[in-house]
Amino acid sequence: MKTCTNLKSRGYDYLKKITAVDYVDHLEAVYIIYNTLGKKEEVLRVKLDAEKPKVETVIGVYPAADWYEREMSEMFGIEILKRKSKRLLLEEWNGAIAPFRKSYTWGTDYKKLE
Amino acid sequence: MAVMRINIGPVHPSTHGVLRLVVDVDGDMIKRVEPHIGFLHRGVEKLMETRMYMQSPSYLEKLDYISPLSWDELYVASVEKALGAEVKQDAQVARVVMLEFQRIANHLLWLGTFCNDMGNLFTIFMWAFRERSKVLKFLEETTGGRMFYVNIRVGGLNRPLPANFADEAHGLCDYLEEKIAGYGDLIEKSSIFMERTKGVGRLSKADAVAYGAAGPVLRASGIEEDARKSKPYYIYDKIDFIVPTGYRGDTYDRYKVRYIEMQQSIKIIRQALGMLKGNDVVGAPIRLIGPQAKPDTVLLSRELPKGEGIVYMVPDKQRPYRISLRSPAFINLSLLPKLAEGSKFADLFPIFGSLDIVLGEVDR
Repeated sequence: MKTCTNLKSRGYDYLKKITAVDYVDHLEAVYIIYNTLGKKEEVLRVKLDAEKPKVETVIGVYPAADWYEREMSEMFGIEILKRKSKRLLLEEWNGAIAPFRKSYTWGTDYKKLE
Repeated sequence: MAVMRINIGPVHPSTHGVLRLVVDVDGDMIKRVEPHIGFLHRGVEKLMETRMYMQSPSYLEKLDYISPLSWDELYVASVEKALGAEVKQDAQVARVVMLEFQRIANHLLWLGTFCNDMGNLFTIFMWAFRERSKVLKFLEETTGGRMFYVNIRVGGLNRPLPANFADEAHGLCDYLEEKIAGYGDLIEKSSIFMERTKGVGRLSKADAVAYGAAGPVLRASGIEEDARKSKPYYIYDKIDFIVPTGYRGDTYDRYKVRYIEMQQSIKIIRQALGMLKGNDVVGAPIRLIGPQAKPDTVLLSRELPKGEGIVYMVPDKQRPYRISLRSPAFINLSLLPKLAEGSKFADLFPIFGSLDIVLGEVDR
């Protein structure tokens, strides 16, 4: 969050993408941030704990982060701190598992996990 | 008057794929819009982790089935970057020609369906589809597939270009230029179209950047940002073309930006065809792709018809360890609440249509 505020003050005003990578022993949140005037791109990679991954929201700096953070928290089970809306992106399930984590096995019935 | 909640969908509203909108209205004014997505979610990113590199392009083509070639090319180019493979000169030119034709086909389909919603019932729609089918026929002769091509291979293309590739392309450019010029009068002299688009769904320059609008939506708000210019790839740095921008950021500007983009694409194709020297375009056979020197991560962006698409890939030996796709339609759809709140209910679909969304790409 601090880094993002810092970057924004240096002209990096356009958030392109937030995603995450599961390296099994740790997780990584990836922020692709762009400077629309200087035409420069920065990639921020934030290391997260594998057990209880959590990261602070950047929605205050980049409003574009809204849906990306929802997607990331739903697919990777990453908790987004200081976020008002907790609604998931794909509504039709309860979000009990993190399907994009490497620990997910094919065919898990999420309805039984309630 | 009490606020009424209207549920729209899940349907195919003025676009492609299934979407549900929950709209709160006070009389005729929209108080709140909430898009509900996920009806087409197939977990493509996860599926691709289990497939060999060159098994994936056919998945990607089903994301944005209006412009499949663009996603195909973006993905294969990121595999090329991971492998450190060079693309043959003629193949670069051929790719640019096909990508620009794909852009025209995408914008034509958008224009047809958009004018349909704007009260220009079926005239432009039929015309745009007539032109689009010529473009698809050209792409079919070149690649072998009408809608889904799976034609890009590492280092080049799947098959050599047909003998009359350049002549056909020139002929098609002349045809399209004449026909597209004819649309302008019919659309812009229609008072219904103008009344329903001018000043509707305005997006200021600051908001467009903050909310991360992509592609024509961003450019219509006055930001000159195009990956073909800011991070030129292939032969785009040798080609002379302009990036159209609007200044009001309304629905009309988003139409106009796409309209000019089609004309610019024709200009690009003509210049690119002049650079085509021979027919040495065939890339590596699929089975040859195996373990090579692998970088940590691969980040690649391309200007897709709908905006800037990005592949962020963590490559592994035979298949990607993790692949993440930035879809321009996804971020443009998230703008809908921002654009529609405070406008009239009847303006919801002009605004929605002007974003040019394919739900297959939004949900992935």
